[in-house]
Amino acid sequence: MIDTAIVVGIIRILFVCIIITAAYIISTRNLLSVVSVYALQSLTLVCIALALFSLEGSIILLAIAVVTFVSKVIIIPYFIATIQEKIRIKRDIEFHYLNPTTSLLISMALMLVIYMALSRIVPETPTRDSLFLFGAVLGISLMMMGMMVTFSRKRAITKVLGFLSMENGVLLFGMFVTELPFIIEFLIIIDLIILVILTTILSVGIDSTLEDYHKRLHRFHLLEDSEEAP
Amino acid sequence: MIVELFILVILVLLAGTIFPLISASLDRRFVRTISLSCTIVASILLGSLSLLNLLSGEPVFFFLYQPIPLFSLSFVIDRLASFFLLIVAVVSACVALYFTEYIEHMDGQSRRNLLCGCTNLFILAMVLIIASANTLSFFLFWELMAASSFLLVTYEYTRDETKKAGIFYFIMTQLSSLFVLLGIIALYTQTGSFSFSTLSVVSTPLITIAFLALFVGFSIKAGIIPFHKWLPYAHPASPSPISALMSGVMLKIAVYGLVRFLLNVFTPDLWWGVLILAAGTASAVLGIIYALKEHDVKAMLAYSSIENIGIIFTGIGLSVIFTALNLNNLATLSLLGALFHSLNHAMFKTLLFLTAGSVVSATHTRDIEHMGGLAHRMPVTSALFFIGAVSIAALPPLNGFASELLIFMSFFSSSFIVADSLLKVLLFICLALFALTSALSAACFVKAFGSIFLALPRSPESAAAHEVPRAMLIGPGILAAACIILGVCALQIFAIVGFAVPLPDMLLVSLLLIGMAGLTYAVLYFTASREVRVSETWGCGTLSQQASAEYSGHGFSEPLDVIFSAIYRTRTKNERTFFDQKNCIFKEGTGEIRLLKVFEEYLYRPIAEQSMKVAQCVARFQNGCLDTYLLYVFVTVIALIIFLGWFA
Repeated sequence: MIDTAIVVGIIRILFVCIIITAAYIISTRNLLSVVSVYALQSLTLVCIALALFSLEGSIILLAIAVVTFVSKVIIIPYFIATIQEKIRIKRDIEFHYLNPTTSLLISMALMLVIYMALSRIVPETPTRDSLFLFGAVLGISLMMMGMMVTFSRKRAITKVLGFLSMENGVLLFGMFVTELPFIIEFLIIIDLIILVILTTILSVGIDSTLEDYHKRLHRFHLLEDSEEAP
Repeated sequence: MIVELFILVILVLLAGTIFPLISASLDRRFVRTISLSCTIVASILLGSLSLLNLLSGEPVFFFLYQPIPLFSLSFVIDRLASFFLLIVAVVSACVALYFTEYIEHMDGQSRRNLLCGCTNLFILAMVLIIASANTLSFFLFWELMAASSFLLVTYEYTRDETKKAGIFYFIMTQLSSLFVLLGIIALYTQTGSFSFSTLSVVSTPLITIAFLALFVGFSIKAGIIPFHKWLPYAHPASPSPISALMSGVMLKIAVYGLVRFLLNVFTPDLWWGVLILAAGTASAVLGIIYALKEHDVKAMLAYSSIENIGIIFTGIGLSVIFTALNLNNLATLSLLGALFHSLNHAMFKTLLFLTAGSVVSATHTRDIEHMGGLAHRMPVTSALFFIGAVSIAALPPLNGFASELLIFMSFFSSSFIVADSLLKVLLFICLALFALTSALSAACFVKAFGSIFLALPRSPESAAAHEVPRAMLIGPGILAAACIILGVCALQIFAIVGFAVPLPDMLLVSLLLIGMAGLTYAVLYFTASREVRVSETWGCGTLSQQASAEYSGHGFSEPLDVIFSAIYRTRTKNERTFFDQKNCIFKEGTGEIRLLKVFEEYLYRPIAEQSMKVAQCVARFQNGCLDTYLLYVFVTVIALIIFLGWFA
């Protein structure tokens, strides 16, 4: 076994990674990189699960790591990359209510508020528990940041990514605080995959002709007028 | 015996409701006649059971059905309940009798069947309210009454006027239900039960809230100023027999509710009585002042209902004040006055609405300025209306006089007994206003009777009017007879039910009066000359008498308009232009007299506008955009987190 202090240190570094990825997802206008960053975020989660596994030895954490890796690092990003290839939108520059800078500022404030709230609820305890507190704070913050993405972006595809990022937050929170039953975690992931597949179908279309589909694409802000031309 | 009769009444009324509904598409007279016959039969049964109970005085309690533990359909018929059941019975029987003929002259083909069904449902709801043994079923049937009466008001829903009245009525009646429910919930929180049981504690803030809520709820339904505005809209809009039912009975249900809660549940404070008295007096005076101004005959009757409800509330308020001061004899006297006036008002107001309905259906207008000369064309109707008008103007020996006299007497006697000088002043002021009310209501109905029935017809329709069918005379006829009997035999009636009241023996007076009249007639018959002269009535020396030159209703009420112009808020505007600079040669001008609808413009409309503003603000939250809803979720979660961290 690796020394506990080292593992804790690693987990903290991974936390920073997660914050960075979340901040990137909130703030970037480049659609292509969002998917990779999402995959990176999921990978970080996998790493955290593995690190926790080395601390606690719970087999469920290992299972979570595996399932997360397969679904969120490989399958879902693959599907989304496919969509992006089809609809050829590179940039997302339309926002609702919040622009990226404000979102970033708000998410910093949010983290602070959540940290203060949680530290009032959870009594002060030694190192490892403070790690768990951080995990919980980050989990909730990630959730909220994901939610901010879902309502501040106009494009459906970014909304989906925001939602996926929210789910990552739930997973993180679950790993540190509540010990979600594995079956629920698994079901959530299946839901996510189905959601992404649906998005794929909606955005790319199972219809034979694309002309029929343009209206619907417009409705989901997936197609610009300029790209409509044959 | 009474229980079986009561269940029979319910079943017959239900049959009268359901039968026309299942044959709703059948536009036949017999459907409606059967339905209304059900009403009549049920009313007769109801009347006999309430008379039995009123005389025996034994409260009857029975239990029908308990769907859930806290709520049961159980009924209690005591003397108070049977008194009000009697009002319902008499009025519904007469109205249904009148309705059998009236409904055949209405528009709406097979929709009229629904009207019959709803009428039965409405009466059923009122019967069940009165008999309810717990507050929850009271509220349930209260709502049933509100809903069915709304359907009745909006019968002629295609007319704009009716739509407006319907919506107005619906909002007001729902407000009333809301307040009643609030009061019942407050009582439940205090006592933990829904039964009409006397409160163990005297007064807590919660009980005060319960009383105020119930008072407002019942006031809205009864049409106490400033919650009265639905009456003058709803009554003209609905068919006349429905107006008669609503004014004659439904307003009394609100009175019943108030009396029931005051007697059985609360131990009232002094200030409650002062509140009720003040509200009642204000309604009485303002109601009759507005009635004087009104030229729509049904709206005038509606305002007059407000006045009479005000009188009833005055009696109740006095009774509460005297109870709080431990003057039990006076309290009983004034409560008897209020209850007797409820009965009397039900009689004469129904009579007036029904005869007004006959007049309106004969002349096709509700404006009394376009009537006139109907005494020759509709002699029986005019005689019946005259009896109603004399009763409502409280002239002896009819019933309005007897009940108002009771309230006057309790006012007079109190002035010797009540020690608190402030209260004494209040009572004197109320007494003065009450006296004013009586005088004004006499003026009002002199005007109404004169403009409708006397002189020459002022419109072709009025000139072509003729007497209504017999069925439309029998119903009002019974009510007119009741008005006379209740007035003449008031003392004897009170003696039969076991109350000794200081009323003069009107029977003796009436017999004397009849004897005098007979004697005078006999003397004149034998002494006067038999010479017949045919001439025109003297018309102030004009060459030919025309309807347009008559003394109109407007003219009659003009002096009163001037006296009360501060209340009417009449705005007179004259604009004149002249050809020359010295203002001598008149060029043109406009003049207008505008009536300010004080309550509508200063109370209802601002409240409605504020509600609309709030509603628009709330509606803006729901903009159909997914992002917005996500934003709400986001904000809610943050609020929850903050709440958890700092306040939980």
